[in-house]
Amino acid sequence: MTTAVQPTRRARGSQGNVGAEQSLWLIRLVIFVVVILWMIPTVGLLISSFRTPEAINTSGWWTVFANLFDGAQWTFQNYQDVLSSEGFGNAFLNTLAVAVPSTVIPITIAAFAAYAFSWMDFPGRQWLFIAVIALLVVPLQMALIPILKIYSSVGLVGEFLAVWLAHTGFGLPLATYLLRNYIGTLPSSLIESAKIDGADHFTIFWRLVIPLSVPALASFAIFQFLWVFNDFLVSLVFLGGTRDVRVLTLALNDLNGSRGEAWHLLTSAAFVTMALPVAVFFSLQRYFVRGLTAGSVKG
Amino acid sequence: MMHRKRGLFALLLALAMVIAACGGDETADTTGEGGTDSGGLAAGDGSVDVFGAFSGIEAEAVNQVITDQINGADGVEYTAEYEGSDSFEEQIKIRVEGGNAPDIAIYPQPGSVVEQAADGNAIALEDLGYDIAELEGIFGDYLLSLGEYEGKHYGIPTNVNLKSTVWYNVKAFDAAGYTPPATWDELIALSDQIVADGGTPWCIGLGSDAATGWPATDWMEDIMLATAGTDAYDRWVTHELPFASDEVKRAAEVFGEILFTDGYVLGGGNQTPSIDFRDAPDPMFSDPPGCYLHRQATFITNFFDPAGLVAGEDFNFFPFPAIDQNGVLIAGELAAVFNADTDVKDFLDRFISADVQCAQGSIEGISRISPNINVGSDCYRDALIGQAADVITAGLGAGEARFDASDLMPSAVGSGAFWTGMVDYAQNGPDALDGILADIDAAWPTS
Amino acid sequence: MVQEDTGLGLDDRDLMDGTPPTNPFSVHILRVVAALVIPIATLLGMWVAMNWVQNLENRFVTVIVAIVVGVGGVWLLYWAMDSAVDQLPLRFRESVRPYVFVGPALVLLILYLVYPAFYTFVLSFQDAKGSGFVGLENYAFVFTDERMLRSIRNSIGWIIVVPLVSVVVGLGFALLADRLKRMESAAKALIFLPMAISFVGASIVWKFIYSFRPEGFGEQIGLLNGIMVALGQDPVGWLQQQPWNNLLLMVIMIWMQTGFGMVILSAAIKGVPEDIMEAARIDGATEPQVFWRVIIPSIASTIVVVLTTMTINVLKIFDIVWLSNPETNGTEVIAERMMRWFFRNEHDGRGAAIAVFLFVAILPVMILNIRRFRREEAIR
Repeated sequence: MTTAVQPTRRARGSQGNVGAEQSLWLIRLVIFVVVILWMIPTVGLLISSFRTPEAINTSGWWTVFANLFDGAQWTFQNYQDVLSSEGFGNAFLNTLAVAVPSTVIPITIAAFAAYAFSWMDFPGRQWLFIAVIALLVVPLQMALIPILKIYSSVGLVGEFLAVWLAHTGFGLPLATYLLRNYIGTLPSSLIESAKIDGADHFTIFWRLVIPLSVPALASFAIFQFLWVFNDFLVSLVFLGGTRDVRVLTLALNDLNGSRGEAWHLLTSAAFVTMALPVAVFFSLQRYFVRGLTAGSVKG
Repeated sequence: MMHRKRGLFALLLALAMVIAACGGDETADTTGEGGTDSGGLAAGDGSVDVFGAFSGIEAEAVNQVITDQINGADGVEYTAEYEGSDSFEEQIKIRVEGGNAPDIAIYPQPGSVVEQAADGNAIALEDLGYDIAELEGIFGDYLLSLGEYEGKHYGIPTNVNLKSTVWYNVKAFDAAGYTPPATWDELIALSDQIVADGGTPWCIGLGSDAATGWPATDWMEDIMLATAGTDAYDRWVTHELPFASDEVKRAAEVFGEILFTDGYVLGGGNQTPSIDFRDAPDPMFSDPPGCYLHRQATFITNFFDPAGLVAGEDFNFFPFPAIDQNGVLIAGELAAVFNADTDVKDFLDRFISADVQCAQGSIEGISRISPNINVGSDCYRDALIGQAADVITAGLGAGEARFDASDLMPSAVGSGAFWTGMVDYAQNGPDALDGILADIDAAWPTS
Repeated sequence: MVQEDTGLGLDDRDLMDGTPPTNPFSVHILRVVAALVIPIATLLGMWVAMNWVQNLENRFVTVIVAIVVGVGGVWLLYWAMDSAVDQLPLRFRESVRPYVFVGPALVLLILYLVYPAFYTFVLSFQDAKGSGFVGLENYAFVFTDERMLRSIRNSIGWIIVVPLVSVVVGLGFALLADRLKRMESAAKALIFLPMAISFVGASIVWKFIYSFRPEGFGEQIGLLNGIMVALGQDPVGWLQQQPWNNLLLMVIMIWMQTGFGMVILSAAIKGVPEDIMEAARIDGATEPQVFWRVIIPSIASTIVVVLTTMTINVLKIFDIVWLSNPETNGTEVIAERMMRWFFRNEHDGRGAAIAVFLFVAILPVMILNIRRFRREEAIR
């Protein structure tokens, strides 16, 4: 690692705290501007979700700022309609039953595979790994028919297991790729010394690699959860769209008419479905802490 | 090396065994049906699942009818449920080819039903035990013929709507002293009159996100029927009559008369692809009216703004007038059967019956019209829909009703080149017409 | 034989089984059988449990059990397989074990991606219905059809612009946010937010930005045209402006994807040991130098990973361009063509050929990745 640091050519002035304070304000400003830019579309959606269908359709969402406190233009009806839509609670439960295992299973399987690709020796290791990442490219839509053929011949259609395995299969290449990238760069001295201590692979994986990989595991978990949560194609194909089994996104999407007339419901539905992924994001944030790998510098 | 291979082999073997074991104890479950017994029908499995393209309130209404009128009826020992999806085209292809077809699929495109018949997936109505003559008595010959393949019939009509409707603002018409025209010449005269009075006659919007262009194909179809007649229309649908033919070109030119005459179209004809079809009728109801006429299918009333407009009082329609020929343009749905059993047959019998269809017509917020000619116009929630139903029934009876051509053509044309060609036409004007029609012909699949 | 592992210490299983086998053959057979039976029993157990629980009346119980079975099952599976390997004769053990670790992944990948890819490959040489072989006809279509060629050009634009902008913004934001003392997760959450919006939601969001209504069709409800009108300009049909409409659609993808890059890169930045950075600073390195000489080299592999993932995601995008009609506005992209031909135009052969083309198009990116992995292995 010493190569990374070159002796300074320019002596850093000793402006000290004043400069640091200034740059902190600059950072805050830049972040503020980017956040505002990123927020504009979402704010439009949020505002629209509290407006009547007619208001949404006849005036721009930004016009609400002109008369912010005019109560007549605001409504909670959209959220009421969404939350009280038939089978909402059931759909929420179904989503959990689909999303939680569909997040944990691929991460587990990918972590084991990533460990093997990084730290175990077996013939074909490189080529197998290449094959795994090449599979990132296979478009999910093209895979549905062949898989459904297998499922219908073994009677798996309509089972949670069918959706879990499908999400796992589709999520594995990226998960393996990301985790291999992380696990592979753990300091080899650490693994070697554990081996010298007599730990077997299962123990090294479980006691050493998993705890060290928490930031990577957490960040992938966020995205896998997000994709699974927002998916309705895979669920619709393998689980079905009838009332007792359909997932939340499907139920909310069904609120929309065939010709797209229900913008007011879709805006509020978008926020309702956003709540859980954002909660997951915040709860996993605490794993992005500096220091987990600090001290274990590779030699 | 040797033992390595053996280890891997053992693992694969284990998984193969698992998969085989799983297959063994599961195939008897409900999902694995699909035995197409053409002799007597298989016994019902206790459920009927119906899959279709419409969702939202329309789906809710149909499910309400199914629950009240069928699932709850005496002697019904199965549960039927409708599910609709925005991505119906993708879904149904995946499910049918993946071996997990629904019991019944309701297609908005009759051509797809014929394709399913050709592929051997759909089950003929004859094999379900239907008497075709009897069905023709209920729906007329034409609708039934749409789902015909090699002498057998595969599609049961479940819904129709009227496309040959021109909407107008009743109060604005009264105030200006205009009357609904009965002929094409009167319609042109009215348009000129409106221009002379300082107004704009037409509101046209071709925008529809990824489907932009379809409203223009409806115009073309209406004009084809009105100028070239039903025979030419039928030949056009099968490409016997190419787009570059005189008949189709004439229809496009007539459409161009509306689209490109100065002052006829609000915003100008070349702007129409940017106007969302859902927004297009709105200027009709502003004060003073931005336009006076809007040609669109019956469902458009759901999009009329502002809310609270009353059918018959605030808006009304007149049928798209004949030019040289008579014709009525309709669209709708055909149901195809994928899994035949006694429950499915019983469900269909009940679902298409006049009683159930009549009950469906009274539900608020939807504009489904029954293809069953025994369903009277008094079954519908408002007089306008009843009137539209009468127009359809009369058209079917006279043999002048024709289904939306773009839904009958191969999708590369009917929901591809035809749409984009019409957008091109609107944007580039009459000079581009010959090239556009040739392009649409070129997109027709060769086989 | 379950024992508590006490950290990284010596595993007593190895010691016990390390003694020379006394009655070799029958024991070996027994062990091999055990090695097979344990994972199978685990899987079957999951299946049976799920079957039973899915028929329960109480949905809540079903869901709880499903989660427990699904999450617990996969762990049990590995534990069972690893124990099964321990039952194997000693000399086989360490050569079999890697396959226990990668085996489940490989099996799932073969089933869910390799087999479908192969199926697609075969389909790409067949006609519209998949009923007869037509040779290379579909590939000829891919390289001659006017819209296809335009979609390839557009997609090249997409893979140049979107990953680059997303990574630069995501990386910059992750770095800056890392320096904030408070509000870091709040700021990051706001960039992340668009990823959490469902596609249906996102398409509405952007309608409220790009929507256009010509004169006479009511007030503008799209922000851009609202601004135009406020500035006294005529409203513009943004999504009809070729070729700039492509850029406007890319903005949507950038908006949605930057959060991905930011989260992954942020995790990598947190992984750069503080003491190295401190050491560099003590040595007198300026902040830009710390960035270019310490942080960037440390997270270079992650940047490549994020770029690769985004490039692939961008190549697979199709629904964003559905915000307008791609065929009338010249905004076709490759994956959109694939969906169009496979699902709408009912030509399985062409759809499959486009999918295969998509796969081949990404291979250069893959090869770059593989080279990098090789290099890393070499220096490790």
